[in-house]
Amino acid sequence: MRATWVRLSGLAATLLYASFIAWLYASQPQTVAEVTGGLTATIGAYRIDEQAFADGLSFFQKDQFEEARAAFQRADPAQRDPRTQFYIAYSFYRQGWGRVYHDDVLYRQGLEAVDRAIALAPNQRLVVDDPALGLHTGDELRAELQRGLTRDASDLNPLRVFRRRL
Amino acid sequence: MSPLREALVLPLLFLSVALLGGLRVGADVRLLPPPASALVLAVLTIGALARSRALVLERFLHHTRSPLENVSGAVAIATLLAASAQAFSIVTPDTGLLHVIVSVFFVVQLLTTLAGVRDRMAMLRSITVLLGCAFVLRFVALESLYAPGRSVMKRVMTALLEGVTLGAIEYQPAGAATGYVAFVALAMFVAGLVLLDWPDPEPVRSSGFRLKPEATTELPVATTELPVATTELPVATTELPKATTELIEQSSRVWHPAEPD
Repeated sequence: MRATWVRLSGLAATLLYASFIAWLYASQPQTVAEVTGGLTATIGAYRIDEQAFADGLSFFQKDQFEEARAAFQRADPAQRDPRTQFYIAYSFYRQGWGRVYHDDVLYRQGLEAVDRAIALAPNQRLVVDDPALGLHTGDELRAELQRGLTRDASDLNPLRVFRRRL
Repeated sequence: MSPLREALVLPLLFLSVALLGGLRVGADVRLLPPPASALVLAVLTIGALARSRALVLERFLHHTRSPLENVSGAVAIATLLAASAQAFSIVTPDTGLLHVIVSVFFVVQLLTTLAGVRDRMAMLRSITVLLGCAFVLRFVALESLYAPGRSVMKRVMTALLEGVTLGAIEYQPAGAATGYVAFVALAMFVAGLVLLDWPDPEPVRSSGFRLKPEATTELPVATTELPVATTELPVATTELPKATTELIEQSSRVWHPAEPD
């Protein structure tokens, strides 16, 4: 009877450990915070730091994008919250936006962040109801960033300088 | 084999090897799944272990065992397969011609071992030496040659090597931390192989006491009395009825040498 229990608990432990390893290989976390955040998100127990998020939002509204990103990353160290990742992507967009040209490096980082945000959102549908933003969905932000990275004839249009930042 | 070792210790040990074997700690942390060549090497390793009885398959999978025991044994062997694949993966360069050369070398070496080695200890020694040499080749020689910030002499050597091979030999350093991870993974793998057929400890009596070692020393004294007892046997057998002795002879397999022509 004891041997049966040992075998059953061994099987359960092995399956759990194997699942954990498979998850690690699939998600490729880079930090311990990402590992713990990912595990807690799996069981629905992941929470962001609301105070750090509020700080980030405040910096974002004052166009202090680097400070905003630092606060957002502190709020969501595991990169598991779609709304925070959306704001990080938006900060890259606004910082990289220019009347004459866009900063491709920042736009690419924004694209990575918005892809992450869309992947984390339920059914990959991400909507942020913030009246201060010109783009409210992940799809709109993604398309805007991709347009900024595309080279075509419209880049030579002199009327571009009259465009406004969203 | 004790259920604890079969169901818990070995699978967890081998799964840890499977985890660490894919870990590459460089500028970023990556977890690489085993390439197809490593899976072939893992199958060959299990074949060689089974052939040399370092892995006694009947102790893990057998029709006399219960379904739960067989599932437990199958899981242990599956984790051994995963660990073997990742153990070979971590000592093989990840890409390029060196990956092909080292993989082919492993296949040839394992096939030779599979054909030639029949003894458990010899097999364990062979695999330990094989993995140890591959570890030294990758994490001592190659990492030293291709490490970032290497000396001028090393840069000249690698440039010459690449020139001679028309640029076919290239190597991406895995990082110093990966070497330590690989060492731990290989040590755990070899420990797991040893534990596959490690004899269980002496059974403990119900009273909780083990047999004293001195008890075994009394055996020769007892055996010396045996010849005295056997000398009396013929006397006893002569008294058996003839029918009984015939029956005994028929039921027993007595070998009679053939008459010479």
